[in-house]
Amino acid sequence: MTTKVQSYRNYRFKQKAIPYIFLAPNLFIFSVFIILPAIIGILYSFTDRTLFTFGSANFIGLQNYVKIFKDEYFIKALKNTIGLVMVTVPLMFTVALLLATLLKQPIKWLGFYRSVYYWPVMISAIVVGIIWQWILAGNYSLFNITLQGFHRFLSSIGLISTPFTVSPTLSDGRFAWISVVFAILWSRSGYYMIIFLAALLSIPETLYEAAEMDGASRFQQFRFVTIPSIKAARVMVLILVTMEIFKIYPLVVTFTGGGPFRATEFTVQYIYEMAFRYYQIGQASAMSVVMLIIVTSFSGIIFFSSKRGENQ
Amino acid sequence: MRNKRQVITAQTIATLLVFVFLVPVLYTILSSFKEMAELFSTTPTFFPKKWSFANYIHVLSSGNYLRYILNSLIVATTSTIIAIVINTMSGYALAKFKFKGSTVIMIVILSTIMLPLEIFMAPIFKIITFFGMYDSLWAIIIPPAATPTGIFLMRQYLLTIPDDIICSARIDGASEWKIFTKIIIPNAKPAIATLAIFSFMWRWNDYIWPLISIFSPEKYTLQLAIANLTGEFGTDYTSALAISVFSMIPMLIIFILFQKQFIQGTVESGMKG
Repeated sequence: MTTKVQSYRNYRFKQKAIPYIFLAPNLFIFSVFIILPAIIGILYSFTDRTLFTFGSANFIGLQNYVKIFKDEYFIKALKNTIGLVMVTVPLMFTVALLLATLLKQPIKWLGFYRSVYYWPVMISAIVVGIIWQWILAGNYSLFNITLQGFHRFLSSIGLISTPFTVSPTLSDGRFAWISVVFAILWSRSGYYMIIFLAALLSIPETLYEAAEMDGASRFQQFRFVTIPSIKAARVMVLILVTMEIFKIYPLVVTFTGGGPFRATEFTVQYIYEMAFRYYQIGQASAMSVVMLIIVTSFSGIIFFSSKRGENQ
Repeated sequence: MRNKRQVITAQTIATLLVFVFLVPVLYTILSSFKEMAELFSTTPTFFPKKWSFANYIHVLSSGNYLRYILNSLIVATTSTIIAIVINTMSGYALAKFKFKGSTVIMIVILSTIMLPLEIFMAPIFKIITFFGMYDSLWAIIIPPAATPTGIFLMRQYLLTIPDDIICSARIDGASEWKIFTKIIIPNAKPAIATLAIFSFMWRWNDYIWPLISIFSPEKYTLQLAIANLTGEFGTDYTSALAISVFSMIPMLIIFILFQKQFIQGTVESGMKG
């Protein structure tokens, strides 16, 4: 009798333990390689630890934070990053939504267009950087040669009389920064286009018919039917793009290298340099914590402002 | 009437955009077939004047590029297999079991998306070293195999499998592991295919994990090797263009074969590595 009860107990225990066992490998990796680094990072940020400190390091309070906010390169990288988010996120949102709207029209070869716009998503950020550097950098790049061709054409029909000057492209800070925005849009808009396209296709056609009967213009239909109907997709795209832009780094490694004169150096690159070139893990971790706070506040703002809209 | 003109306009714009998305890649591929003198010509042309395989021969004969390609293949394949097993297991637990803490675990998993590893590179480096995985391919195989989006994708799919099948198997006395391998995995094939191709792409294109954890040149992955061709003193285009084309080929093949899964996967979960 007892053995039967025991074996039943065993069975119950097994049944209860099973989901945890199935979850174990994933949870282990998450705790060790995602959650633990964040906790350790916060702890490191209050110490004078370097890459080669093996025992314990000294607790130095907020000194790292004071240091990094006096570090002009960090401030510059932070400004660059926040600026990039402010510019690229709305642009990506608009471009992706426009592409999706375009592919919702009754045109031919839709599948082909969709595949072509999506294809750059498959190319690694490193190679995207190489491609755009090859096209833009230097006086005889495809970009400059094309400009020259336009110039020749315009002057031949008498629209321009000034001689052609080569565009400085990637050796000009502002040009390089804008090129980074463009390269991100080029390589990633196809991805967000797909998310929007799925949302657009799920809007019932009857809504548009009703709006048209009420005399709504194309723009009004877009504003009052389309936009409210794709709310979930809008929030998802905004959060995903914001996260993605905040952690940008591989693209610039091969594209601009962060230059010229740190014009395209963003925080992740500077954190990497601080940790692995200057070996200052304490300071690098303080920067990580600052970044984490900024990233979570941005996604928090997006998330909660979308929630508030729901109640209205 | 208005409608017809609109369709023509849309068709024209869509066609023009094809050039925007294709020309950069096409120009890179074509340039990789130019000889060195032509690459640095002051009057470059779109198509090579003289087609040459010199860059490819150079890349394959000098340096360790075959090694890097092999490393990338090993990493992408192994990590994908591990990802399939562990993410399906987690997805199964979250979809088909009621247990204490399941909601909390789900929230924790989803919120890890908000902790980008790019930001915490230094502590991750320390942890990898602590586990003795520094400068080993395992460091870029195991940690990235667990992805919140992978779990989410599997969970959503497994919710659609009827409970009855699992229950009847249990009544027949099948062990939980047997249920998982004989019932869950075969029934989850479409979701597993989606996860597999995304995981392969993420690992093949990955740069950050190899950057943090690999030191010896013979353990470089393709992306790490390509990145090292650019530097303060300019880019070695003769190698960089050819090897970039090499790195795009597997992705192109996978994309042509599995377009549907990519589009579907993107829609289902907003998949992000």
